[in-house]
Amino acid sequence: MTKLSRYLLAPLMATLLGSATYAQEMTDVGTPRNETLIVQTFDGKTANPDSQNPFNLYAIWRGFRELGWSFLWEMDTATGKSYPELAAGPVEVLNDAHTQFRIKIRPGVYWSDGVELTADDFIYTLDTAKKYKDKLNFVAGYVNYVKSWTKVDNYTFDVETTNPAYDVQTVLGVYTWGSQFTPAPKHIFEKQGDNVVTFNNAPAVTLGPYKIKEYDPNGFWQLWELRDDWQRSGWGNSGTPQAKYVLYKDFGAEETRTLAFVQNKYDIDTFMSPDSIAAAKARNPLIESFSKTFPYHDMNDACSYGIYINQQKAPYDKAEVRWALALSVDLKTVGLSALSGQFKAAAMPLSDTPITNPVFYKPLESFLEGLTLADGYKPFDPTFGQQMVDALKAQGTPENELPSGDAIKQGFGAGWWKFDPAEAEKLMASVGMKKGADGFYTMPDGSPFVVDLVFPSDWNKVMQRVGFSIADSWKKAGFNVNARQVDAGEHGTVGNTNSKFNVELQWNNTCVYNVNWLNGWRSFSADNVKPVDSSDALSGNYLRVTDPEIFKLVADSQKLPTEDPQFAENGRSIIKKLTEGMQEINLMNIPTTIPTNSAYWTNYPKQDNFYAAPYTWWSSFKKTILNIKATGKQ
Amino acid sequence: MGIIQYVAKRVGVYLAVLLIGLTITFFLPRLMPANPIEAYISQLQSRANGTLTPEAIASMRASLEDLYGLNGNIFVQYVSFLKRVILQFDFGPSFAFYPQPVNTMILGALPWTLGLLLISTVLAWIIGNLVGLVAGYFHTKRSATVLELVGILLYPVPYYILAVSLILLLAYVIPIFPLSPTFPVGAMTPAKFGMVLYNSILPALTLVLAGFGWNILSMKALAVATTEEPYATYARLKGASNWTRMTRYVFRNAMLPQVTALALSLGTVFNGAILTEILFSYPGVGLIMRTAASSGDYNVLYGAITISIIAVATAGLVIDLFYPLLDPRIRHQ
Amino acid sequence: MSATILPEATAAPTRPVGRRDSLLWLLNTRLAVGITIVAIFALGGLILPFFAPADPALQSTYLKNMPVSWMHWLGTNSLGQDIFWLLVFAIRNSLILGVLVAIGVTIISTVIGLSAGFIGGNFERLLMLVVDSVITIPLLPLLIMLGALIRANQAFLVLAIIAFGWAWGARTIRSMALSLREREFINMARFSGANTFDILLREIFPYVTAYMLVNFINTMLFAINTEATLAVIGVSRVEIPTLGSIVFWALNYNALFTGNYVWLVAPIVASVLLFLGLFLASTGFNAAFASRRGVL
Repeated sequence: MTKLSRYLLAPLMATLLGSATYAQEMTDVGTPRNETLIVQTFDGKTANPDSQNPFNLYAIWRGFRELGWSFLWEMDTATGKSYPELAAGPVEVLNDAHTQFRIKIRPGVYWSDGVELTADDFIYTLDTAKKYKDKLNFVAGYVNYVKSWTKVDNYTFDVETTNPAYDVQTVLGVYTWGSQFTPAPKHIFEKQGDNVVTFNNAPAVTLGPYKIKEYDPNGFWQLWELRDDWQRSGWGNSGTPQAKYVLYKDFGAEETRTLAFVQNKYDIDTFMSPDSIAAAKARNPLIESFSKTFPYHDMNDACSYGIYINQQKAPYDKAEVRWALALSVDLKTVGLSALSGQFKAAAMPLSDTPITNPVFYKPLESFLEGLTLADGYKPFDPTFGQQMVDALKAQGTPENELPSGDAIKQGFGAGWWKFDPAEAEKLMASVGMKKGADGFYTMPDGSPFVVDLVFPSDWNKVMQRVGFSIADSWKKAGFNVNARQVDAGEHGTVGNTNSKFNVELQWNNTCVYNVNWLNGWRSFSADNVKPVDSSDALSGNYLRVTDPEIFKLVADSQKLPTEDPQFAENGRSIIKKLTEGMQEINLMNIPTTIPTNSAYWTNYPKQDNFYAAPYTWWSSFKKTILNIKATGKQ
Repeated sequence: MGIIQYVAKRVGVYLAVLLIGLTITFFLPRLMPANPIEAYISQLQSRANGTLTPEAIASMRASLEDLYGLNGNIFVQYVSFLKRVILQFDFGPSFAFYPQPVNTMILGALPWTLGLLLISTVLAWIIGNLVGLVAGYFHTKRSATVLELVGILLYPVPYYILAVSLILLLAYVIPIFPLSPTFPVGAMTPAKFGMVLYNSILPALTLVLAGFGWNILSMKALAVATTEEPYATYARLKGASNWTRMTRYVFRNAMLPQVTALALSLGTVFNGAILTEILFSYPGVGLIMRTAASSGDYNVLYGAITISIIAVATAGLVIDLFYPLLDPRIRHQ
Repeated sequence: MSATILPEATAAPTRPVGRRDSLLWLLNTRLAVGITIVAIFALGGLILPFFAPADPALQSTYLKNMPVSWMHWLGTNSLGQDIFWLLVFAIRNSLILGVLVAIGVTIISTVIGLSAGFIGGNFERLLMLVVDSVITIPLLPLLIMLGALIRANQAFLVLAIIAFGWAWGARTIRSMALSLREREFINMARFSGANTFDILLREIFPYVTAYMLVNFINTMLFAINTEATLAVIGVSRVEIPTLGSIVFWALNYNALFTGNYVWLVAPIVASVLLFLGLFLASTGFNAAFASRRGVL
């Protein structure tokens, strides 16, 4: 080596060595890893990442709903109560008929480009939504709800609703997951004129404390950066966001995701399957599930999974057949096969959560235990939770992770229906359906009876596995099942169309989040009943309820405020009727498996640290962002 | 027949094939039970629980039908589809991601698919043929059988298995390559291009491995056959070196069917793309096709499949027109 | 001439077509190995299922994720199914599917190819147009698109593969027919008064048989591979055990990650061996026929 190169080499080596010791881990997108919270996207890869117009559907995922936009009222997932975000306080009712309301917004909220948010933005949003409502696809939730609106001053506007309304805060604000009523920046959109319908708005000017730094034109990731002026953003008054950068990225199919997660490549996952989470925890102790004990995951989703039955179609129109199907589901085995036992059973057509339990489940406990069928049989089994614990113990789950005593009902639910194929056979026989020579039930006239069970394919792995397991359970009990896993499009079509619908695993009509059951069951009315062979699509009432008494209860309740005890009582009456006739075989709360990685961030919401639900695509994420702590790991 | 007549006839067949292909493409997705409108609405519902009222859904349905152009007689739709595609090459808006135009979606994804697959196909062809040539020429030697065995063992392995095994080996057990790609954004700089390359090596490797087995085997068979031809023997007697015989005599003649095969496989590139892109989350046309199929997005499917059909048909046309130039024996027919 | 003996001279002398001789000329190493492998799979797949203790597709028959033991030769999986019996039924189902598709494709492609080659004229041109159009349509994307229909009914898969798989074979057979049409002995037969059908059957057919057999095996390979590919991405009836669906479930339940390697490796090894066997048989036949014709 020449002298010169030797002189150059030494300092070079020194610099390299030096930088190696101080080398900070950077993410693939060029930000410091310990300042970036990396989240697996809820909806995988986006096909049109340029679409950032809040009037259209796509600008809600990959962070828009949580970090980019803001709403008048948000939902506190820990308590189930609505709280004001952009609004200055609760909505003011102006008349006794409950049709005129005044909404005041907080002054001092600025868009990310420095323009202040005023009532003009809201007026413009309402005007545009109404003018182009046939062309915009994310305004239907409120554009028919409000009839007219007027600006009062820069921070106040009035709205008049089409019908008397008691739920303005949850229609013009967030009820469960999100709200369609998202204010758009007038100063940007106005210039578009009629093109507002196809306007991409990329990169978007945001109202929340984060702005878009960069996004992948192929739709795999989006990087958010904390605004310098975050304190005057839409929810800047709730606390200090802890992460300078938030990266939403799609890490691919579960096989590749689990490996990446173990390698600390990201912090929060979405819906990883239970056995993968268990294996990941074994390999990397920094990975945690929502709870250290069974059922390990948060079970407080607003909706519950159930087997929806087309009650209008024979032979499902007979309650005996429906009950027979319910009693032939071995939920214990289904849960063990499909979910490794990590689920919370819910016997009535709604989730059993800390919010709904005191209003609906606890008061009806005696009803369930006393429920008797026509032949004197009592189908409810309150020991279901204990059976799960025993089965899990037999499979080798450590005892300190299993709940005991009262915690069993909290963990596995208040109980479920008995698994009794013998009783099912009696019920089927009572309506003339006996087992044929091949061991499968036949119709009263002797023709084969095939249960066409439709459930999701890969796009909802949990339901996919549950579906196959239920089919297996039914087959063993004597029902000939055609188990069909379908794509999302077909799943929706089958559920909405009478002529195609027989039995389907669904959840869109069993979503009661809090005492306001009307939000989920408003559609139980005679207008939403179509003929049994109709090919027209339904827009609600997917449970195919036809009971006029239930319709009356719904109509009556629309005139009641939600705080009225009669309102809750009506809800309970509806639930009782649905359960007595087994109009839907409800299975469990939707298990949301959200594992977290504490390599770079800690203090995520957990069972024993429950400041919010663990979801990253709900309002809960706003609380998460305010509460997480950086570990400072290099 | 005269050259002009031959070319004209061949081009005529080409156009007819395209038309028939387009027609079949149009009608087949309509067989699917997935209605794009319902798919869209259920997408909304499944994620936005409780935010939609029945009236809202009903009105959305009506307006979507209008927007997507799905009302009316199916033959009317077919004719307007043909007009739009042939005259303007416009496939309309995507249904699942309205109002994103299909052309934009596909054009964005096309360079990825073409880049990855063209390069790996050509690489597999070159490597496979070289190995096959040597193996075929020296087919009496032991090492040739070994090389052929490599081909035999690789060829029947299903692609998915190859891909999953490689991911496990090279991205997890020995983490050289990333498990999921991150493609950089913005203007292409050399550093960013390097990242693209780095993230593409694993999928390319699986494609090359999957493809070159066949090339080894077919080339070897051809080379063996050609080596025994009289003119090759004559060259040996003439005293030409091994190298000259291998390249000038055997290779030139054995190459012809292989070139045909290459052209055809370049044409069917889109077919092979789907699996690779699904497995490696590679942002190409295949991945778009997969999402479109599950949401009943007719327009995107039309666009993607039409491109594939055009590629294959054009490859065939090119072969038929240029092959006579390469093979003098056919020229005079 | 030279010291090297040309292959033509060493090949068996060309025998007149159609005579029944001993089939010793068929044997070469490749073919022997290939046929042995396929025979093992076929016999195992057809006979063993009768001895199965339970329907392997039923879930929770046994404890989950048991290791390899005398009770369970390949252990059990996360669904409580015995992997060995699952594999046996899978091989049977895959083979049956392959054979069904191969039969359909061979019949259709032979009929169309021969008639097109022989009858010629506008009939041939029209048929070839159809063939070319079908060839250009990409099969995999199409099957994925029709996935919903396939999931409803496995028979649809068989029909779909047949419907789009016959084109290549028809094309090749047609060119064979074209070249044969002009050969000496055909003209001889024609002059001696035989009609088209007799010519087809007695003179052409035996030539084409060789190709048909090889094509049959290749189609089997193609069909099994296509079904496995579809099953692995979930676009098929995955509750029916086939080689692809076992891989699907193993990946679905993340078998590699959770440590149940046998679940994933067993069907892979079985697939590779089966394909290897089919492939060797196919090329073995090819080599045998070629040497018989004195072409190699």
